[in-house]
Amino acid sequence: MSKEYGDIKVSKEIIKKIEERIKDTEFKSVDEYVTFVLEEVIRDEEEPEEVFSEEDEKKVKERLRALGYLD
Amino acid sequence: MIVLAIDALEYTLVEEFNCTNLKQKFYGKTNITEFSQPRTMVLWSSFMTGKNMEKEILAKGDKEMWNTRIELKDTFFSRFADPKIIDLPGFNYLKEQHEQERMLLKNYFDAQNIDEKNKIRTEYNNLAFEHHRKVKKEFTETLNSKHDFVLGYFSVADVVGHLNFGNRIMMKMIYKDLDEIAGTIKDSFIVLSDHGMEKVGIFGDHSNYGFWSTDFEDIGSPKITDFARIIKY
Repeated sequence: MSKEYGDIKVSKEIIKKIEERIKDTEFKSVDEYVTFVLEEVIRDEEEPEEVFSEEDEKKVKERLRALGYLD
Repeated sequence: MIVLAIDALEYTLVEEFNCTNLKQKFYGKTNITEFSQPRTMVLWSSFMTGKNMEKEILAKGDKEMWNTRIELKDTFFSRFADPKIIDLPGFNYLKEQHEQERMLLKNYFDAQNIDEKNKIRTEYNNLAFEHHRKVKKEFTETLNSKHDFVLGYFSVADVVGHLNFGNRIMMKMIYKDLDEIAGTIKDSFIVLSDHGMEKVGIFGDHSNYGFWSTDFEDIGSPKITDFARIIKY
């Protein structure tokens, strides 16, 4: 069964920014990118996005130093 | 033979995002436990020579390590009549690009406030994406050439992952792109990563296994040095 689609209004300014962002990527249209992002945002309601923490930063900085990425 | 060499391609994300082109028919994790740390330069050098290069690479020191240039005759690539290797660490990668990335990484950690950090991270990501597009273009064009061995090395998942692995949307976008690249390969190919990546909050750290896939053989849990033997000429 094929999916049904509806319309959503988005400002031209945002569309322009998305067009710029998806240039040279595998996203074939602004619609495809917006669908992709919205699916992730809806999913994130169950699994919140990570936020910056100084403790994480310290841990990663030490690891990157051990791996030779940082002096 | 074609090798899609992807730095830090993480097994669990390939599964989670269902990257069917990257998974091919057979896929799994590589065993890199013989190495003390999952270091990019050590692992790719060991891959191309077919022997554990940890001692030799580490003897160069953290800074000089990145200048490693192994000669063609000392790699399994020399078995092929006309090999084409794109941007591989330890062989022919674009040194200036990776130096610039490491410099921005340092600037990010040295920055004193979050606004400055965010600005540097954007610059860092843009640099990595721009390089990715160039490598992708060269790799795609090379697929139509007559080389008997092609290896394309993609660093975007590693470089961007270090400062953004907790950003699921960004990582999914990268994996989708890598999966599409795999989908454009018409001949038999191997996907190989040196190590994977694990989440540390918003950041990413190297995990202690790599990823492999083929469409012709289940190779179990190979060492990265086994590929010099597995890849036939």
